Amino acid sequence: MKYFGGCDVGSTYTKAVILDENGGIVASTIMRSKINAEQSSRLAMSDCISQVEALSSPDDLAYIVGTGYGRNRVPFAQENVSEISCHAMGVHVTDPTVQAIIDIGGQDIKGIAVAPDGTVKNFAMNDKCAAGTGRFYEAMARSFEMSLEEFSSLSLKAKNVIPITAQCTVFAESEVIALVGEGKAPEEIAAGIQMAVAKRCFVMAKKAGAINHITLSGGCAKNEGLKKAIEKVLKIKVVELKTDPQLMGALGAAAFARRKGGAAL
Amino acid sequence: MKDLKHRVLFEHLLSDVKNELVTQALDEGKKALGYSCYFVPEVLMNLDGCFSVRLRAPGIADTSIATYYMSEKTCMYSRSILERAIEGGYNFCSALLSTETCGMMHRAHEHFEMLGLVKDENERFFVSHIDAPFVTKDYAVQHYERQLKKHMLDRLHDVYGVDVSEEALRRAIEKHNELCRVVTEIGAFRKQQNPPLTGYEFHLIELVSECCPHELILPYLKETLEELKTRKADASPWYRVRVVLAGGENDDPDFTKLIEDCGAFVVADRYCFGSLPGREEIKIRDGETALSAIARHYIETNECPRFMNPEKVHGRKQYLKQLAKDYHADGLIVQQMKFCEYWEYERMYCQHVMESEYGLPCMGIEKEYINTSTGQLRTRFQAFVEALEMKKLQQGV
Repeated sequence: MKYFGGCDVGSTYTKAVILDENGGIVASTIMRSKINAEQSSRLAMSDCISQVEALSSPDDLAYIVGTGYGRNRVPFAQENVSEISCHAMGVHVTDPTVQAIIDIGGQDIKGIAVAPDGTVKNFAMNDKCAAGTGRFYEAMARSFEMSLEEFSSLSLKAKNVIPITAQCTVFAESEVIALVGEGKAPEEIAAGIQMAVAKRCFVMAKKAGAINHITLSGGCAKNEGLKKAIEKVLKIKVVELKTDPQLMGALGAAAFARRKGGAAL
Repeated sequence: MKDLKHRVLFEHLLSDVKNELVTQALDEGKKALGYSCYFVPEVLMNLDGCFSVRLRAPGIADTSIATYYMSEKTCMYSRSILERAIEGGYNFCSALLSTETCGMMHRAHEHFEMLGLVKDENERFFVSHIDAPFVTKDYAVQHYERQLKKHMLDRLHDVYGVDVSEEALRRAIEKHNELCRVVTEIGAFRKQQNPPLTGYEFHLIELVSECCPHELILPYLKETLEELKTRKADASPWYRVRVVLAGGENDDPDFTKLIEDCGAFVVADRYCFGSLPGREEIKIRDGETALSAIARHYIETNECPRFMNPEKVHGRKQYLKQLAKDYHADGLIVQQMKFCEYWEYERMYCQHVMESEYGLPCMGIEKEYINTSTGQLRTRFQAFVEALEMKKLQQGV
């Protein structure tokens, strides 16, 4: 049996996936990225390899593709592919009906329109700023003295939405602290934050040409409050993926590796 | 490919506006004339006794003082030029020739006068403003010709005694055309399937031709042209796809290099001013004066997005389409500097027309004057290359 690896070195989390010849996921891992991308990729792939009895080192994999912001620093990868192409492919092999993706990662938001064969039809990406990304949510959760998971579901209890005007992470944090200080309901402030990010996602999705059959990928796709807000602004129900949406980049990389390594998609 | 003989020299010449060739020309007693727009005819700044210097601000990292004077909502190019001027970077110039084309750059140039920049070093330094037209009609060409005479030639003659006679202008055109022919011939190598030069190398060549005194840089360009005729390209093309790079001002060869590092060969450059357009020969028609020919040439050849007459608006898209065809491009990248007043809408319109009407894949990029944080740009370029590559595979190319 041949195995194929994908390693997605993101700015906050590193993900790895191993596929078998038939395209089945036999191992996966998600771990906090280290400051050194090379070290992150080694740790993630080692963890994945330890889950498969037949494998003992990256050399045992038939082909490996690196992706994510650290894609050039994956020492054992034969090739690197941009995370935009990998997310499209990862989502496509998970659910071929999906036509567009909103990928909310640690440091950027991307809107990706997917062609019927899983290739990228069009994409849009936010500029430089970390507003509405994983880093942004970490800062917001910190303001509420909550874990990311607690903060993600906080807005679901809100009866009203307190609008947040600042999009910049630094200014938004100041605004939130001021609102908390005024005694406003935390869940209503959280709902305002989720709505502000959802609107940003709306722009990216529309810029990429997304219309229907939209799904979320990246770490923030697990944020329930954000998912609800996005459904509200897009006026559609987003497609639920069977596989962890945070793994889509690594899965797409592994799918490319599987094709490069000789297996048909 | 083996390195170009003068690549390192060209990179060095572009690392400072007052480079060693500029210094050599100044030592010979020539006057340096700064400019930053296509509508200041380069040919008129290269009359006997003076030379043109395209104003750049290489390596600038901070524009705080210029931002104080101009606001943060102006493009970084205009602020960078002002900041570098405040730092004293253009103190070697004898004049700044400006145009009322791009409002932000015009404001930056006005600050040269308001802040008395360069004057401490050269009390005869002057800033002259040319009013360039918005349309291509005959009356507009005549107006432009009058502007060139009044705000360029008369000033140069009155202040520095420059010979602006018909004979002098014809000599300048001849020399200018020779440089244009060499640069154009070098650029044409990019049409080849496996060319002996990269887009980055051409960007260096084109820029040194604008940033150095023509007489001093021409021997190096001619030598490079001869070298390219025998330079062996690698056995198979190094690139994955071919792209036309279009957009506003771009004097950053590292931006071109970034695109090429992602696998896209920049086969043609269509900027605010550069080689396409910019390096076409000036032809004097029968019965025409040299100045009339120059005025007509710049109005006819320009691809500036401030020209709003329908034939120009449509013509700019046709021009890009033709470039893509001539240079066998798979796609188009349109770059625009943040807050650029003209390219903000031109980029959007261009993307729409190129994709929906001409079927040419197109990516729009908003950039800064100097791009230090390149991670996200690299991701975009690589994804675009992958999409173009996939399209080629699907088409069986």
